[in-house]
Amino acid sequence: MEAIVAEDVHFSYDGLQPVLNGVSLVVRTGEVLALMGENGAGKTTLVKHFVGLLKPRRGRVLVFGVDTREATVAQLARRVGMVFQNPDHQLFAETVEEEVLFTLRNMGVPPHEARAICDAVLREFDLARYRDRSPYSLSVGERKRLALASVLSYDPDVLVLDEPTAGQDYFNKSKIARLVNGLKRRGKGVVVVTHDVEFAAQVADRVALMAGGRVVREGPAAEVLTDAQAIAAARLTLPQIPAAAAILRERGVKLSRIPLLPGGLYAEVIALLDGGAP
Amino acid sequence: MSSVLDVFRFRRKNTPLHRLDPRAKFAILVLFSAASLILNDLASLLLVLVAEVALLAVARSAGEWLRSLKGLSMLVAMILALNYLTLPSNRLFTALTLALRFICLTTAFSVFFLTTAADELATALEASGLPREYSIMFTMSLRFVPSLARDLQTISDALRCRGLELEKGGLRTRIRNYTYLLVPLIVYELRRSLMIAEALEARGFGALKRVEPYVELRLGRADYAAIATSCALLALTVALRFTSLYEAFVRLQLSIFGEL
Repeated sequence: MEAIVAEDVHFSYDGLQPVLNGVSLVVRTGEVLALMGENGAGKTTLVKHFVGLLKPRRGRVLVFGVDTREATVAQLARRVGMVFQNPDHQLFAETVEEEVLFTLRNMGVPPHEARAICDAVLREFDLARYRDRSPYSLSVGERKRLALASVLSYDPDVLVLDEPTAGQDYFNKSKIARLVNGLKRRGKGVVVVTHDVEFAAQVADRVALMAGGRVVREGPAAEVLTDAQAIAAARLTLPQIPAAAAILRERGVKLSRIPLLPGGLYAEVIALLDGGAP
Repeated sequence: MSSVLDVFRFRRKNTPLHRLDPRAKFAILVLFSAASLILNDLASLLLVLVAEVALLAVARSAGEWLRSLKGLSMLVAMILALNYLTLPSNRLFTALTLALRFICLTTAFSVFFLTTAADELATALEASGLPREYSIMFTMSLRFVPSLARDLQTISDALRCRGLELEKGGLRTRIRNYTYLLVPLIVYELRRSLMIAEALEARGFGALKRVEPYVELRLGRADYAAIATSCALLALTVALRFTSLYEAFVRLQLSIFGEL
């Protein structure tokens, strides 16, 4: 189902220098879309349109059929949850628990339900033991998880995660990847803004590459993330598995396709060994 | 928000005013702000504003100033309205004068800050004998104004995304909701200031008692002329302000406004 539809969106902060130059993109529920590209490509500017924080100068953005120009951010946020890059910009309550309850109260969740949800979410994010601590006393990784928890708590239909893996260690990164996959299974739409090609390879169904305020390439992750030319044009590097496959091809190994994930490469190699056996 | 603070952000341009020594520009700032404060009537303040705008035109920065004025218009309207509603007599004249004074003062500061680079200002302050710790503190506080505005914007974005309604509701609720922004802002800025302090020390700040400036400021002919003119004009303004001629000039304006 189409959750967010951006139609020919043009935007500039100062009215002079265009930041978005006619972006058209669809975000669907039950799917993970990775938005990638170098710094200044317009990724964050674009996702800010998805909750109405920015309104297009030309074109339009529809969130579940509602034009973002006709609703406040708080109203749009009921359907689209947005988690910012820096947790310090979003936390303010006295305790970890209140941080989560704040969002639930804003979204109109009744008190007894809110308690139960809060407990569940804090347990899910491994934060329950900090419930009475100040959010500011947590480590960066924990604060990031709390920011995520406070948005996920009210169960929006679409989640926009801006650089969710920045500053996270490998362990937490795979945890976030599992979380994103879990959200997708529950039918949520997820947009991740990321530079991390490995993370995108792990979670994304679809990838949109941005450069100069445009979507320059969009398609299934397995196609876009293995396309060396498109990846280089967006100033990213190939994920490790396609890179390894490319090296094998260069050395004359005949692969039927460039795989994206370890499993795919494994299958290719097995097929090769079987085929090559006498 | 950021457009209001834009008025104090330096932009490098090559104009006679930009080339002036920061101390000469400081003299101009003193002239304009003193004149705005001691003059008490519409016509003289209008004259001050015209002079300021002329300088901004020379500095090719009138556009930036005009844009920031739009941001300040709410505040100006408030000064006007509150004074008009509460003053006992000469309400329109005094309210207009006070609003104009506010514009004159902010313009005086924007003339200075739009044309003076922070590092030049620091050099000038040190050349006038201020210890380096203080000059750094001063220039940094200027340098971080735009960052502060940006942080405030980001925080308000983040909280709106969590359902905090900042765009609707009565004045009371809105003000209460805005207080939610303060906690993250203060914590964030304190964290950042500690980080900057550590970074400064890690880069050797304070290792030597005295450091040689790399840029030496020298007052040229234009600078002396600007300082002398500013002093003379200031003296003239002060002298004229306390004459019966000035009183008569104010009375004339008042009579035009009549009972308004």
